[in-house]
Amino acid sequence: MSRSKALGAPSAPKVLGGKLPRIDGPLKVSGRATYTSDISLPGMLYAVPVRSTIASGRVVAIDDRVARKMLGVRAIYYRGNIRPFFRSGPAQGFSGLIDEKRPPFEDDVVRYYGQYVAVAVAQTMEQAKAAADAVRVQYAADAHNVERRLVAEKSLETDSERGDAEGAFKSAPVQIDQTYVTPTEVHNPIELHATVAAWEGDRVTLYETTQAVMNHREVLYQMLGVPKENVRVVSHFLGSGFGGKLWPWSHSILAAGVAREVGAPVKLVVTRQAMFETVGHRPRTQQRFRLGATRDGKLVSMQHEYLNETSILDAYKEDCGEATPFMYSVPNLRVASALARRNIGTPTAMRGPGAVPGLFAMESAMDELAIALNMDPIELRRRNEPLQDESTKLPFSSRHLVECMQVGAEKFGWARRDPRVGAMKRDGLTIGWGMATCSWGAMRSDAQATVEIQRDGTMSVTTATQDIGTGTYTVLALVASEATGIPLDKIDVGLGDTTLPPGPISGGSWATASVIPAVSAAARAAVRSLLTLSTSGKNAAFAGATPDDLHFANGRAARKSDPSSGVPLGDVLARANVRAAVGSGQSRTTFGGEESRKYSLHSFGAQFAEVTWQPETARLRVSRFVSVIDAGRMINPKPARNQIEGAVVMGIGMALFEEARYDKRYGAPINSNLADYIVSTNADAPAIDVTFLDYPDLVLNELGARGVGEIGLAGTAAAITAAVHHATGVRVRELPVRIEDLLRA
Amino acid sequence: MGTVISQVTTVDVELRINATTRQLALDPRTTLLDALREHLDLTGTKKGCDHGQCGACTVHVNGRRVLSCLTLAVAAQGKDITTIEGVADGDQLHPMQQAFLDHDGFQCGYCTSGQIMSALALLREPCGASDDEVRECMSGNLCRCGAYSNIIAAIQDVRATHAHEA
Repeated sequence: MSRSKALGAPSAPKVLGGKLPRIDGPLKVSGRATYTSDISLPGMLYAVPVRSTIASGRVVAIDDRVARKMLGVRAIYYRGNIRPFFRSGPAQGFSGLIDEKRPPFEDDVVRYYGQYVAVAVAQTMEQAKAAADAVRVQYAADAHNVERRLVAEKSLETDSERGDAEGAFKSAPVQIDQTYVTPTEVHNPIELHATVAAWEGDRVTLYETTQAVMNHREVLYQMLGVPKENVRVVSHFLGSGFGGKLWPWSHSILAAGVAREVGAPVKLVVTRQAMFETVGHRPRTQQRFRLGATRDGKLVSMQHEYLNETSILDAYKEDCGEATPFMYSVPNLRVASALARRNIGTPTAMRGPGAVPGLFAMESAMDELAIALNMDPIELRRRNEPLQDESTKLPFSSRHLVECMQVGAEKFGWARRDPRVGAMKRDGLTIGWGMATCSWGAMRSDAQATVEIQRDGTMSVTTATQDIGTGTYTVLALVASEATGIPLDKIDVGLGDTTLPPGPISGGSWATASVIPAVSAAARAAVRSLLTLSTSGKNAAFAGATPDDLHFANGRAARKSDPSSGVPLGDVLARANVRAAVGSGQSRTTFGGEESRKYSLHSFGAQFAEVTWQPETARLRVSRFVSVIDAGRMINPKPARNQIEGAVVMGIGMALFEEARYDKRYGAPINSNLADYIVSTNADAPAIDVTFLDYPDLVLNELGARGVGEIGLAGTAAAITAAVHHATGVRVRELPVRIEDLLRA
Repeated sequence: MGTVISQVTTVDVELRINATTRQLALDPRTTLLDALREHLDLTGTKKGCDHGQCGACTVHVNGRRVLSCLTLAVAAQGKDITTIEGVADGDQLHPMQQAFLDHDGFQCGYCTSGQIMSALALLREPCGASDDEVRECMSGNLCRCGAYSNIIAAIQDVRATHAHEA
């Protein structure tokens, strides 16, 4: 029995777990949701950056004589004619984070193709674009390095180790030793990154495409050199981000800087092409994975050595070994890593950072081991299911990986699988089946929220987190409604503004888990405040009673002993001459917290893929997918299911399509558009069957809810390449799968 | 050094959008998309690539779906333009909008205007009846959140119940 079930989950809530549409949905389907680049302000100017056309070298001279005389042009800025920007200091926890730490124009050195070297400001977008194109930049180019083959800049450092992994591998009867490669992947949210910066005196408001308004302010005030309270960051709607919009990028600093110089609001929208250069990407990884096992499938050794590319200045580490130490039972293990420097823009977190490329390697190796052992891949994993997290010696707060595999196998029809390559046929096509497991951390960060119950029976819920498409607006309304009985149509949720109580980043799949306890506590505190008001003061509705004698239901305060005694909340507040009943709530982080010292906190899942293969035309399709996820209780299952389906769609892209390629001659990402960098289209999306096991993780929060933004992408590519192998006999270890690979079949 | 256009004045442009005629003085380089977004405050139509590759900017011109980022505003004169703002009847959502809501046919909502405009045009196109055919007809509209299954469900729902209204 799971620990959470043993503890006893709270009784099924009334409104949670239903199938409600999103409360922000009507705005989104009618074009009325306001995203950053939708903002226009009186007197606003447009900024278009000039991007470096070399990948390494120096800016020798900038000639803006033509550009600055063009119609509508207000200014051309570059190093030397604009107030310099500061660097922000070291981050503290999840505050003050930025991946590309060098501010624009800090020096005259160019370290990657597309680096901002100047910026044109004009009255219209067309004028600014023409002016930026007319700025002549003279460079002294050096040799650049955008090599695909990664070489460690230093010797590998150990991330995790137990036993004697090398010795146990050498003496293992069955060995797997392969290298897996994941390519440079670009987040490519459909919303372009953008900033609208507006100064009033020495105060600035930044409308920003950010997954973290609080962090954005923390970085920007330092880089701009103004007091923190002078910076406001707003992100009411975000056209998603997938990690690419977590931390600030140079365009935001540039927009704020030039708006300060010209004394007018400035809009800067990053082009799709520039989004391949200057706003991060998942770096290329090269992972050697070694497994040693007994002939009956017990792992005796696991070694995971990996490299990832990073930029010249920033040591971004893709933590591919995130899940390696705890996924399976193995007495001897070593995870080690190093970086490879390249003349590329700084990488950043992309959906399931570390775990997603790491699990591609691990789960591919496990599939290869199962084949070497002539064993069912589910059976291999079952034989290596750990009783605890063997890296920390802590119990899992809630782990139902074996059940995920069982349920998935039943849904998928795995028992009918013929493991021989190419043996399964349907409608003249060869069928391939593959599976993989997945995991993502279950975490919580600090969060605060305020709830106000108004005299007219409406309620506001506010916290400075964001809704990036995951349904945060709706979940918070549901939680507040659950705690107060106030119906959803009377609840207003305010997010995405640094003037609100500090909320978490929308990343790491922990926004939901973090904010729920804070909002729930704030709502309860507001009710308590209302009940207290109804017992105190000379006009009190229930003079002489204590708040504990009362309860709040259907918009009325009433004696528990006499439900008919109810007084409408508006009357309670009016009698007390109070505008609104206010409650505040907060939740603490699990990072370094008690829970993480007692438990290993993770979500788990199993992915099953079917591909169809038509050898005559080398046509490969993902035709069916089953995903079973163990991520606690789903507060709002509809958007949660949408998250997993969407992650699977992205995983199909990761497996079959996505790779940013750097041109050797110029160092530029050469397929920097949505026709040449291919993402899954509607026609690529198969039928996807998502199941949530629904074991509330009560260690994590009172509702037992974890986030599901990332886990659906983990394991997906490995399940697909396993299916590709089953269909074709080709084992693809370097993503994406290419027709050239399949022609070897 | 190539020739640089340094002095461009505006041209008068008259656009009929959502049954309303709008007079504009535009830089002739202005796309229909930028005219809508930057000059007419019709920001429901989105820019996702500016290259005709993502579909977020889809509008109707004379009843057919068109990528407004690849259409110059001056070239859209004398035609009937419909944007997402012109789809609902006041506060009453169009059945397609309601279906996207009911089927959760989006996450972040950024591509949604273009998806809905394509879906509405599709009702009048010779698209086959099957889900796979609709998937094909909707593949010019990228949804990076991957809400494709729900988008198809929404469209098929409308086609089943409102086919006669198309």
